[in-house]
Amino acid sequence: MLRFSRLHKSYPGRALLDLGEFGVASGEACVITGDNGSGKTTLLRVLAGLEPAQIEGLCYRGIAVPANTYSTALRRDVVYVHQHPYLFSTSIAENIAYGLKARGVPRAQRDRRVHEALQWSGVALLAGVPPQKLSGGEKQRVALARAKVLQPHLFLLDEPTANLDGEARAQVIALIRQLVQENSSLLIACHDRELIELPGMRRFHLESGKLLDT
Amino acid sequence: MTLLDATGEAFRLLFGGDPELWGIVLISIKVAVFGLLLAVLPGIALGYVLAMKRFPGRRVLVVTMQSLLAFPTVVVGLVLYMLLSRHGPAGSLALLFTQDAMILGQAILAFPILVAYTISAVQGADPRVHETAVCLGAGWLRAALTTLNETRFAVTAGVINGFGRAISEVGCALMIGGNIAGVTRNITTAIALETSKGEFAQGIALGMVLVVLALGVNIALAVMQGEGGMK
Repeated sequence: MLRFSRLHKSYPGRALLDLGEFGVASGEACVITGDNGSGKTTLLRVLAGLEPAQIEGLCYRGIAVPANTYSTALRRDVVYVHQHPYLFSTSIAENIAYGLKARGVPRAQRDRRVHEALQWSGVALLAGVPPQKLSGGEKQRVALARAKVLQPHLFLLDEPTANLDGEARAQVIALIRQLVQENSSLLIACHDRELIELPGMRRFHLESGKLLDT
Repeated sequence: MTLLDATGEAFRLLFGGDPELWGIVLISIKVAVFGLLLAVLPGIALGYVLAMKRFPGRRVLVVTMQSLLAFPTVVVGLVLYMLLSRHGPAGSLALLFTQDAMILGQAILAFPILVAYTISAVQGADPRVHETAVCLGAGWLRAALTTLNETRFAVTAGVINGFGRAISEVGCALMIGGNIAGVTRNITTAIALETSKGEFAQGIALGMVLVVLALGVNIALAVMQGEGGMK
């Protein structure tokens, strides 16, 4: 699916990531653990094309991708979800339809897919609530629906259960479990033990800028 | 005529539907609105680019826009006068002492306000707005429109302030409009003229209209901010 032979990311006076060969295979779910500040979020942001880095041997679905056109080439196939997702100040349905509109999906098809995504994420009953009034867990579920509706080849999820507890956390984990069971390609940065131990999850640990396959 | 008499006469002019007075008000609103419309798109677009992009000369442009905020309107009028006068580089356009020249002048005055407010709005926006748009597959135009939509209250404040500057300035309108009755005489130039003649009634009436207009746009802004701008 997505593979690189080397990735280096540094800030002035500090090398944050110095990774050797790494990749996520099609249908594979991977989780990256690591201390706060170890670079998990940065790695996901680099892979989403949001931050520059020195990347060598980048390969997407078997085709070499020049690093400098990385974000353009992959933008529409790889969807990154922030730790605290931002929902646009329109309706929830409009939020979910946003990426479909950007892709020029016809109205009828768009409405059907948005309806399916609302049902999938269990937020259909909240459709009339202003996004700003949703709880953290509800926002995360809308963000997952907004990503899933695009049928991306790779999900990049940054700490999807951070700051959630109880039922909200369980609902988000249930959605991610479904994505894993549907053989979606996932790369998740997280600390959540229940997510880390989901069946079928490949685990990596990021430490001192290196990824260790655990 | 005492001040009290003048005020009474001002109310009579206002509520009696004096055609000369309301003609002046209409010219003012027309020129300010068209001037604003001329400046809105380029002002917001430049503000967005200056907030989002890094390129050589950006800092110079930002400082220039900030300096233009405090530029005396009479200097803008002087520069335009020289450009539009018969022997000026744009003299062949025959714009001097026309409403079109006033519209151009007021657009120039509103432009840096629109730029500055947009820079401030976009730089103050949550960075996740643009990132989310991009991650969901938006192109640069859709991502820009999304960011501006999410910051619409702050951007609209710029538009309203731009209108405020356009409708309340006197120096530029006087120099390039010429204060021609029924053509280029607007509220501010009429107030200046009538006051200099010692005829306060029309000046007071027009002053009241100007205050009501200024209050109106600011109340509109406050209502909008009450609905969403203070989030």
